[in-house]
Amino acid sequence: MIEVKNVMKSFNGQQVLSDINHQFETGKVNLIIGQSGQGKSVLAKCIVGLYEVDEGQILFDGRNFTDMERFERSQIREEIGMLFQGVALFDSLTVEQNIMFPLTMFTNMTKGEMQKRVDFCLDRVNLSGRNKLFPAECSGGMQKRIGIARAISMNPKYLFCDEPNSGLDPKTSIVIDGLIKDITAEFNMTTVVITHDMNSVIEIGQSILFIHQGKKWWSGDKNSILTTDNPEILSFVYASEFMKEIRSIMQEKRT
Amino acid sequence: MKLLQNIGKYTLMLTMVFTKPKKWKIFLSRLINELENIGISSLPIVALMSTFIGGVIALQTASSMSNPLLPKYTVGYITQSSTILEFSPTIISLILAGKVGSNVASEIGTMRVTEQIDALEIMGVNSLNHLVLPKIIAAILFFPVLIIFSMTLSMLGGWMALMITDLTTTETYVLGLRAFFNPFHITYALTKTVVFGFLIVSVSSFYGYYVKGGSINVGQASTQAVVSSSVAILVANLILTQLLLLS
Repeated sequence: MIEVKNVMKSFNGQQVLSDINHQFETGKVNLIIGQSGQGKSVLAKCIVGLYEVDEGQILFDGRNFTDMERFERSQIREEIGMLFQGVALFDSLTVEQNIMFPLTMFTNMTKGEMQKRVDFCLDRVNLSGRNKLFPAECSGGMQKRIGIARAISMNPKYLFCDEPNSGLDPKTSIVIDGLIKDITAEFNMTTVVITHDMNSVIEIGQSILFIHQGKKWWSGDKNSILTTDNPEILSFVYASEFMKEIRSIMQEKRT
Repeated sequence: MKLLQNIGKYTLMLTMVFTKPKKWKIFLSRLINELENIGISSLPIVALMSTFIGGVIALQTASSMSNPLLPKYTVGYITQSSTILEFSPTIISLILAGKVGSNVASEIGTMRVTEQIDALEIMGVNSLNHLVLPKIIAAILFFPVLIIFSMTLSMLGGWMALMITDLTTTETYVLGLRAFFNPFHITYALTKTVVFGFLIVSVSSFYGYYVKGGSINVGQASTQAVVSSSVAILVANLILTQLLLLS
């Protein structure tokens, strides 16, 4: 479990996160949603330590990450996998070398053991046999899946995904969402997904945190978000005509 | 004020760079790659520049030798001393600041804006140590090799130019090369080279590592890296000359 306690963050005097308190549960896909520019990615970067918080604490299974020295933080970071919005694969390395990188850096596995792990991870994301390709030779969807394979290569306890569906078609997005949901359950990870994609909310939103104006505005699950009366959430969830139509059908059914 | 801030930030960066690598095997593998990227790939440009400029130095000196009191071997002597003292260590380093500096800044800068550096940090890797240390060590190790190569080719270029134009004989030229030769000048040149190599790579890494924004900013950082490392070379050249030759 990851606990966020009273987290505050500002940039150049502008408050971006105000007093955020939340728990991200183990074995579930925890979504952070909200409109662009509301502080979702900043919160995620604060949690993983890419940004230092101004106030508050981040706890990974009770371990206070905020007060740790760099060396102690690296030990926790070895338990974190992250899929970046732009994937961030190392473009000078092949798919296999990308996935193998954390293994060579942090484990004492033999070459054979590492190869087995790479093959397992690639198989898990349905990319068996693509070991020798370079990231530039892969499609956007494939790159996301390679990113997930690299993120899970160290068998992490915590998985962060920043906009995993950005730039992907709806069908591929569903594949990626399904993959995130499956591996979360399979490896019993604490998964945090930052998204503003309503399809993802419906598909995998087991626990949802809605951020608005840098504050925790609402939290719940995928069922409760569709029935809430919170005006900010309504304007976010039912922004498109299609979703408005769905809402009116749902309301008709209820009456 | 900004300059002082940058110097402080640069010093802090170096404290992160010069730490023990997590895995020596990975460090050595990266070092070998960097020796190729920074060193071996620079051989053609160094060869071209050195041969031609060596030729020009010899021809210019020969064309100015109107005074009959000057011995004929002066052409070789001036080619040797200007090559060893200044042309090879300083001018070639300035050229390498353009080639290597822009390459380092744009490579690291692109890694920064595409979140590859964040990915390293998230994994728990000291990204500065992982990315920059092998580049600095490669430059420190290989720049002296490049400069010795440059000195040799420059003097050879001078000889070829003189032979083609028939301005002197091989014996006279070689006599000039050997005249008043001071082995300490080689030590002085190589010391400068090591310092220049360090400055080029570390300053360029600094601009690449702390870039913010997108491709335009990476381009600007690359230009800034070349300008700043060239200025750093000129300042260091003055200080080292004062310290090594005149004190």
